[in-house]
Amino acid sequence: MHSLFVTGRLISRALLNGIHNNFSTASDPKLQQKTEPHLVSAVCGFSKERKIQRLAKGQFGDDAWFMAKDKIADVLGVADGVGGWRAYGIDPGEFSLHLMKTCERLVSLGRFNPTNPSELLASSYYELLHNKKAILGSSTACVVLLNRENSTLYTVNIGDSGFMVVRKGRIIRRSEEQQHYFNTPFQLSLPPPGYRADVLSDRPESASSDNFQVEDGDVILVATDGVFDNLPQNIILNELVKCQGERCASRLQMVANSIAWMAHSLSFDETFVSPFAERAFANGINMIGGKPDDITVVLATVAI
Amino acid sequence: MATKSRTFLPIENSLKMRYLEQYAHAVVHYSSKYNSHCSYSYAPHNLVGKYVKYPSYGDFQEAYFLRSYGKWWKTSSATQKDYRPQDFDLLGAEDFITLEFGSTVVPREIFIYEVYNPGAVIRIWGRLKIDPKWHLLWEGFPQKCAPKSRKFCPPLRKINCLINIIRLEFNQSHLEYHTAIDAVLLSGYQPETTFQSEIIRHGLTEVKFNTPQTIRELTVGDLEKRTKNQGDVSENLEPVDCFCLLPDEIIINIFHYLDLKSLSRCAQVNHRWNKLARDQTLYQNISLKIYWYLVDTETLDHFQKKIVNLKKLDLSWCNEHQLYFHQRLNYDYHLKLQSIIEGASKTLTHLSLNDNYFVDFDVIGKINQCTELVDLRLHNSFNWIRCPLDKLTNLVSLDLSLTYIIAQDLIQILMANPHLENLNLDLCEKLVLVDQIVETVAMFNKKLKTWRSWKSFYFTPDGIRKFGLCQNLEELDLGWCLIDRDPGDCLLSIANGCKRLKRLILSEWRGLSEQLLMPVILSCKELTQIDLIGIKTITADVCENALFRLPKLRLLDISFCDGVRQSEVEIWRQQYPHITIQRSCEFIVTDYL
Repeated sequence: MHSLFVTGRLISRALLNGIHNNFSTASDPKLQQKTEPHLVSAVCGFSKERKIQRLAKGQFGDDAWFMAKDKIADVLGVADGVGGWRAYGIDPGEFSLHLMKTCERLVSLGRFNPTNPSELLASSYYELLHNKKAILGSSTACVVLLNRENSTLYTVNIGDSGFMVVRKGRIIRRSEEQQHYFNTPFQLSLPPPGYRADVLSDRPESASSDNFQVEDGDVILVATDGVFDNLPQNIILNELVKCQGERCASRLQMVANSIAWMAHSLSFDETFVSPFAERAFANGINMIGGKPDDITVVLATVAI
Repeated sequence: MATKSRTFLPIENSLKMRYLEQYAHAVVHYSSKYNSHCSYSYAPHNLVGKYVKYPSYGDFQEAYFLRSYGKWWKTSSATQKDYRPQDFDLLGAEDFITLEFGSTVVPREIFIYEVYNPGAVIRIWGRLKIDPKWHLLWEGFPQKCAPKSRKFCPPLRKINCLINIIRLEFNQSHLEYHTAIDAVLLSGYQPETTFQSEIIRHGLTEVKFNTPQTIRELTVGDLEKRTKNQGDVSENLEPVDCFCLLPDEIIINIFHYLDLKSLSRCAQVNHRWNKLARDQTLYQNISLKIYWYLVDTETLDHFQKKIVNLKKLDLSWCNEHQLYFHQRLNYDYHLKLQSIIEGASKTLTHLSLNDNYFVDFDVIGKINQCTELVDLRLHNSFNWIRCPLDKLTNLVSLDLSLTYIIAQDLIQILMANPHLENLNLDLCEKLVLVDQIVETVAMFNKKLKTWRSWKSFYFTPDGIRKFGLCQNLEELDLGWCLIDRDPGDCLLSIANGCKRLKRLILSEWRGLSEQLLMPVILSCKELTQIDLIGIKTITADVCENALFRLPKLRLLDISFCDGVRQSEVEIWRQQYPHITIQRSCEFIVTDYL
């Protein structure tokens, strides 16, 4: 990922070069030619709770996210802890946060298959079992991986978090929701041993995977259901179109902020007919308004 | 080699070299680990690359953890006793890890990032991958340290040699809890040309007094000691050799108290001593573990000539000399190892080959001929899977931890050895039918005292219930065996059957509840150690019961038990000062946005 830090370093290096060459060139053209496929990314999110409870990095309420990179791949992911565990005295954010942290660590250690993010998700899930701290709960997850070698995006999705890829003003790929029934997504779970039979638990292998070629300038949105349930698709698309081909991380950040902020305000709007309300209606449930939920937006553009 | 007479000249002063700092690139070998192969939590591979948790202090899964700590492990009857107590390690090295670095350097500084219970590193060795000679870079006694993370930078011995592999040795026996290391940084001067590196490798920059270095001679470190000792001796020694007056038997008796190194030196004194130092009775027990860095085919050959009635043989750790080196030398060493075991097959009773790469199917075949074997230890050897040890019938202790043994072979061994008392199956990943093994043990090994199977994931509550039939059981290590299952009433049958239980390890039995644990506390009055790591459902109530009702309790580990509050633990610590209550600190510094 092309973070601000790296940008800063590139600029300063370019400047240094410039000084050496008696101000003849402002930047080194070779540097730009040599860049291989990578993602420029930004994150924004809100917790459902108004008051700030936690401030751990990589977490918004029960949602969690990560960004990691390796020599051969850039990886992004989000996970949404299932809130129902609070009733059992289990912090739902813990499972999702650890799942994402472990993914991040596995990527940084190079212990993953650059053509199969579902393996990454599965090994991260099994790794949770080996933690001394008993991590219980369940979570949906979505991980996308840009393989630098063949500029292909590999994705894996379990549950109702998801991703969306926009190219030239059109949505070219979008994840499908996996649900057992309305408002009950597929989920990875580690229930307390006694409750095993009563809990929905899907194998990491049941996640849906996909892969496709990406082009320079493609916009990738990876977000939790708090975004997709509250923002109609055309609003999201309008925002994503703005940042096609964007290589400046801070301008990308502004788009991510506006998507997250819109989703956040609409989720508390009691009169708005949200996509969630529409689906509820289709399932015979009469409700209106947004769905208050934690919101995580991870936005990235492909730079080749 | 910094003797007083010569001053040390750093190589970087005379050659133009590049200063380089690097983190570990790969893990080569280790003797201890906390977790199984499939997992990266607490694993040795966490030492690769830059630190991730330092300067935070705590029990992090991102760091490397050693399996044992403190005195608790030594009190067990299953722990290996020294085969040759004369040859003991002054610093008491218990475990090691060998790391490889990307670039070859002349070492000047090593930083060890310790993030939990620091102070266990006692020795640092270095060597070049293509050269079998190890250089001692630093050694020092284990340290008592304050409970905070530490960037440990020992003063390295000043030597001009190239290294790209280092080996850390640990002594955890003084620690309160597990130690954890986050990363290792090696810094030094990197030769810029092949020519430079050849000059340094062959020591052409300084005049060297070359002494042949084998176990019969001396190591670099001892040269200093010897020169000192010689000084003392020449002052005090009277020109009369008192030993002339003593009969051979007494001298041999005195020799019995000497370690192998001293014996080898005695053999160089005069003809008579040389003859006496070759006496067969001196070499009935041989332990070369502390000389691992010197042991090669020649050394083994040397001992093979001396031994006749070999009873105990410890060749743990003795393979580093060979590793990655010449294929043919490896082959010779392997053959020599086999022939020594074969030669001693009639008399050998104790054999320990821990952490030895050269144990493979052929060596196992030779071990099978040693029908007198009582004590067999093959910890951490992965070059064999099938283990047809069908001729052994006298085994008392068997250590197969960190191996790929399969249930079929193990059951065969268990059925043939009715006297078996200690069985260690920690981290055996290919052991699928554990329940059947317990059944076999309950039927054929009535004397079993110690059962260890840390991280066996294939247990079912039914299998564990059968431990109730092992009435002599004193030590039961079932840590991580029932992570996500409901244990049912299996502890009840253990409580009813194993009245002599002293140590009970139930780490991460996440389904365990108070009611299920209470029977054990009520009926096993001998319990001295209980381990309940990571069981959320444990309450203060059951802990109080254990503390109050078990008169012999000395260690209670309730780390990561969220049901118990820290304030309660503090009160118990004051109430029961003789009991160590472990409570791992989880996160002292969290990373905030």
